[in-house]
Amino acid sequence: MTAKEIYKIWAPDSAKWVDWVRPVPFMCIGQYSKAYAMPDLALPKVVFLEEPQDKSLLEILLGSAPELDLKETAIIVDLNGEEGVRYGMALTKDGFRPIPIYNGTIEQQGARATTDNQSVGMALERWAKELLKVNLDDNANPAFLLDRGRLNRYKLEDAMYDNSWDVYPQDLPSAHYFLDHGINNILVIGGRKISRDIKKILVAHQKKGLKIYHTNGYERPKKKYIFHKPQWD
Amino acid sequence: MKLVPIPANEYENYRLDLMFNCYKWDPQFLDNNTVARYALVITEEEHKQLKMLTEGLDMETREAEQFLNKNQSLVAPLKLTKQLRGDIGRMKNYDPDKHIRLARYDFHPVSDVEGGWAISEVNSDVPGGFAEASLMPLAAIESINRAQHIQIMEKTEYHIVSFGDVMVEAVKRKVRAGGRIMLVHCTCYSDDRQVMQFLGDRLKAEGYQIIYGAVEHVNFKYNKAYCVLDGNEGELDAIFRFTPLEWFKDIKPKGWQGYFDTETVSCNHPVAIYAQTKRFPFIWNVLEAQGINMSTWRRLLPDTIEAKAAAGREDYIYKPAYGRVGEGISIREALDIKEYEKIMKDVGRHPSRYVAQKKFASTPLKGESGEEFHLCLGSYAIDGAQAGYYARISSTPRIDSNAADIPVLIERAGD
Repeated sequence: MTAKEIYKIWAPDSAKWVDWVRPVPFMCIGQYSKAYAMPDLALPKVVFLEEPQDKSLLEILLGSAPELDLKETAIIVDLNGEEGVRYGMALTKDGFRPIPIYNGTIEQQGARATTDNQSVGMALERWAKELLKVNLDDNANPAFLLDRGRLNRYKLEDAMYDNSWDVYPQDLPSAHYFLDHGINNILVIGGRKISRDIKKILVAHQKKGLKIYHTNGYERPKKKYIFHKPQWD
Repeated sequence: MKLVPIPANEYENYRLDLMFNCYKWDPQFLDNNTVARYALVITEEEHKQLKMLTEGLDMETREAEQFLNKNQSLVAPLKLTKQLRGDIGRMKNYDPDKHIRLARYDFHPVSDVEGGWAISEVNSDVPGGFAEASLMPLAAIESINRAQHIQIMEKTEYHIVSFGDVMVEAVKRKVRAGGRIMLVHCTCYSDDRQVMQFLGDRLKAEGYQIIYGAVEHVNFKYNKAYCVLDGNEGELDAIFRFTPLEWFKDIKPKGWQGYFDTETVSCNHPVAIYAQTKRFPFIWNVLEAQGINMSTWRRLLPDTIEAKAAAGREDYIYKPAYGRVGEGISIREALDIKEYEKIMKDVGRHPSRYVAQKKFASTPLKGESGEEFHLCLGSYAIDGAQAGYYARISSTPRIDSNAADIPVLIERAGD
């Protein structure tokens, strides 16, 4: 498959929300400078001892009396590397469409990089075939996929290539757009806390009336209130 | 000049083609599609006029900056930052013949200026939009031709000026064949990388060795530039910089002063900073007193005054002295009230960081169904010669990051 064909699997013409799929990781397909093992194609599971095992990821996460109405919810998956892609695929079983918004570039050949943006592209490529088999509604709510590793910008020395990246307000729909399209809640999955760059975006969405929830991916989501907007670096 | 629609049945393929073959990696900005559904078609006559104006502006700009560089005691009205004031002293060895000078002049069709054009600014330091000015028009012509079943490119009714072609020739003139060129940009931003990647691939195809890196990956010794990026160490034959000069003070790369007096071919050399500040017009009287002609600039740039002097004047807008891509400009009718008030508050607090410019009456172009679009038509100059167009359209008079990129085609003159 060409990069363009893989992109079209993640962003089919007729589907809602796909305008936000970033082409950047797809542009890098075939240009990787590192060797990778085959990505793990097993879907992640959340296992609570008291829950039966045949439930979907969100059914288990939310429990029997979900506070969140999934029909009014968009998800932001903020997990490391290919784990985010796998999680996004798992969410298709709950009827969510994975929307990759990865925006990191690959490093100059020969240079050590702060961030591994290559493995995400590789995972999108490998998972595309699986996504083709999923029958998602064109109006499925979005699960935006991010790599939490994007924020790794620690440089041991100047000679390293800094390809870390942030997500910005322009990378996501506005609060008005979400509200106009029936989305009243945003659930962030990943990390002990919501990442700083995501907070900067969501504080504005919260002001416009969207409710923000967060889970580390293992515990029940909790409603969050973002008190102030962190400054951009 | 007119808007010609990209055929509706071709549009999705065209947009995809731009992403995958024309380095358009940011086709969406917030809720807006940044790929226009039109091409801008200008007549051969309009192209000739714009070429003449661009080359006139560029000649004046280059003469002005070379004069100012030799007479740095006169630059006070530009109010350069403290850091830059300290570093421009190193530029006295600047030799324009050794470097490549790139600038983009932003034109707007207007009804209240003789000749029908005004300019809003020059992107003197690090203009972008290279692929949009090279490959995007070709993709548009292909889409239009396909819909009209025209198969031979020469038979098309349009032609273009390709920025990439002109830049490659400029590089070939000044950089040795097979030389090592570092494309210096903010490596964390994919929107910077897309501009650099286009240029890098184009120059690589000509046999140059291309290195993608950041400002801190260049060190200087005896006025020569060296790459210190992992696995790519060694002398450089050219630096192509896409990181704005005024950001250096925040990035604080080691030995950054070397950029100012390097003899390694630079595009752009930091000498571009004199015209980059929107305060550039405040020094024209000084320049003209020294016999430097600024008449094209005077004719095309709306009256520009100190922000304080425009207090209470509704016919002026405020612009940040180091603003980029239209951000921070106070066009009331194009902004929501909150954003407008935020800008005005900042103007009140830091008036010297802004200039006030007389509003011009942008003449909108009409789309298929009568919808109106305002146009910003960027015209490049490379070493004094016009080098293609980068245009954006918007439903509001402020052309900013929400605007859509539109390819520029030149209609062939009839026989």
